[in-house]
Amino acid sequence: MNGALIDVKNLSKHYPPDVKAVDGISFEIKSGQIFSMLGPNGAGKTTTVEILEGLRNPTSGTATIFGIDVTRDYSEIRDKVGILPQNFEPFDELKPAEAVEYWAGLYDKKMSRKDIERLLEKVNLTGRKSSVSKKLSGGEKRKLGIALSLINEPEVLFLDEPTTGLDPKARRDLWALIQDIRKKGTTVFLTTHYLDEAERLADDVAIMHKGKIIAQDSPEKLIRKHAKLTVIVLVGIGPDGLKEIKRRGIEAITEADGDILVPVNDPSEMRTIFQKLSGIELNVKDMYTRRQTLEDVFLDLVGAKMEEGDLKP
Amino acid sequence: MSRILADIKGFGRQYLRSKVGAFFTFAFPILLILLFGAIYSASGTQKVSLPVQNLDGSPFSVAYLNELNNTTLVNIKMIPADANITNYINDNSLSLALQIPVNFGSKIVDGLGPNYSGPVLVTVYGDKSQSTFGTAIAAVQAASVSFNYNLSRTLPLVAPGVQGLKEGYKFLDYFLPGVVGITVMTNSLFSMTSICAEYRQRGFFKLLATTKLRKHEWLISKFVFFSIILILSLLTTFAVASAAFGTHSTITLLALAMIPAGAFLFVSLGMLLGVAIKDPESGVAVANAIGFPMMFLSGSFFPLDMMPHFLQVLATALPLTYFNNGLRDTMVYGNTGGALANLAVVLVVGAVFFVLSSRLMSWKER
Repeated sequence: MNGALIDVKNLSKHYPPDVKAVDGISFEIKSGQIFSMLGPNGAGKTTTVEILEGLRNPTSGTATIFGIDVTRDYSEIRDKVGILPQNFEPFDELKPAEAVEYWAGLYDKKMSRKDIERLLEKVNLTGRKSSVSKKLSGGEKRKLGIALSLINEPEVLFLDEPTTGLDPKARRDLWALIQDIRKKGTTVFLTTHYLDEAERLADDVAIMHKGKIIAQDSPEKLIRKHAKLTVIVLVGIGPDGLKEIKRRGIEAITEADGDILVPVNDPSEMRTIFQKLSGIELNVKDMYTRRQTLEDVFLDLVGAKMEEGDLKP
Repeated sequence: MSRILADIKGFGRQYLRSKVGAFFTFAFPILLILLFGAIYSASGTQKVSLPVQNLDGSPFSVAYLNELNNTTLVNIKMIPADANITNYINDNSLSLALQIPVNFGSKIVDGLGPNYSGPVLVTVYGDKSQSTFGTAIAAVQAASVSFNYNLSRTLPLVAPGVQGLKEGYKFLDYFLPGVVGITVMTNSLFSMTSICAEYRQRGFFKLLATTKLRKHEWLISKFVFFSIILILSLLTTFAVASAAFGTHSTITLLALAMIPAGAFLFVSLGMLLGVAIKDPESGVAVANAIGFPMMFLSGSFFPLDMMPHFLQVLATALPLTYFNNGLRDTMVYGNTGGALANLAVVLVVGAVFFVLSSRLMSWKER
């Protein structure tokens, strides 16, 4: 072990004849972090996670958790790992407390009624404890899934697209829950195709595309490296306005919707840029500043936007 | 062991709360018993309805009809003498009819004298493909023989004597083990095939693979669960059949032992089929494609002797045949040796399926 709790080196998973689902990726995750693997559908996120969960064998490379090779000795770390699979759905006819009791039994763990109530309280499901799982909402089902993944009090928690398909409120509720779990010292491996989710929750983000990790760092550093922290947005000035701005030596680009973006490389430059802009006759409909996000980073790296996991040119 | 118990409890709750599971375990066999019991409740041999047109009306034709009635094989209903019999058969959708000809009596009288010119023909109209046709012909022949004896005063040289092998046994006694066989098969085989497909499609297998539960423990838990509920189903069905129709077959220890053996066999077969099935719809289709022919060809509803020879040979290749035969051996015939032999076949075939399914099924992705 080199200090990393999860250590992945040159991991590949190929399917015949020539599909490279995961193509030689390497990364490390430190204890207590929320690590987010971000990417569109088919990028290779779930394949990577399932190798780490002992559910798939890699074609080549190594993956260790707590220094244990997961492809060989996963059973040695099973007790320390919690898993919420992609598209988790609980067993339809079981009530949340029964599902927890059932799952605890499969981990050889005895849970008293109080323990079960406490766990359901942790994920805010106490109000629905008498409903069978098929009657729970999408968000409640995922919360139950997280409750099941916490039964063995894991040190590492894998959450594979936990908020996909949920409404904004349910997503925010789950974010709060994930942050709460991290506060208690659990390392969280989160895969998502929601850029705002990764930016909001993750200490470290790996952007995955076509089986490869194309960038990895903290969200802030990624934004600094691949985008500008802040841009000034000018609405409605048209191509003539853009020409005039560029003629005055101000860097500017046009967005797809026609708005003009003026990047600010450093906050101290903001005043100077505003002074230069104020000297130009521009027919501006609106002007505001916007902090750039991982969305801009993704656009810069992949050349396409991502909506609900699909790439949009 | 604790994981197996936890899985039995968790799975059991789901299974019994689902309406389909509860229906096929308890309601389905009871419905079958009540329906078939009601249909065949009168006696072991069913009477055939035989419409008769008597164009004669003499005491001889009346005497002939009495003989026909005495066979106890037919229920006689009269067709008006002025009706055209072929039209009448068509208009009333009859598959059987008997016509006693005009001058039946006078021809009999003539035949008894020196001018005998052959028997008087009574005509049976019927569809030879129907099983009732054979019964009607047998009744008419028996009535004719008896009528001939009575009139010609010859003494019968041979007559059937009947010695009942199973006094008081009814069709239902033979049918009940078949219903139990169907129930064991549908619950274990159909459920397991669908469950495997559903678990794979919904990611439950992956989920289970992340716990400490092992594949063979999961399979054992299903076997134990189905054994328990199917023994309860057998007891319930038997109680209903006894209360409603007074069956004479008995539940023996060997019959109770056959149930877990059958559950073992069909749970393992269901899991084996589930190895290759990706979605629940395909699971239902495959289970039906295998289960339904087996249901009909293994003597659940009809005795194997009724089937053509090639189907009887095919039946020997079906595991449900041995399960049904074993149950009948012990519940109806009291043939312990036969039941043990059938039980052994069920267990051996079940063991083969268990080993194959345990080896071939993977909860993980490749």
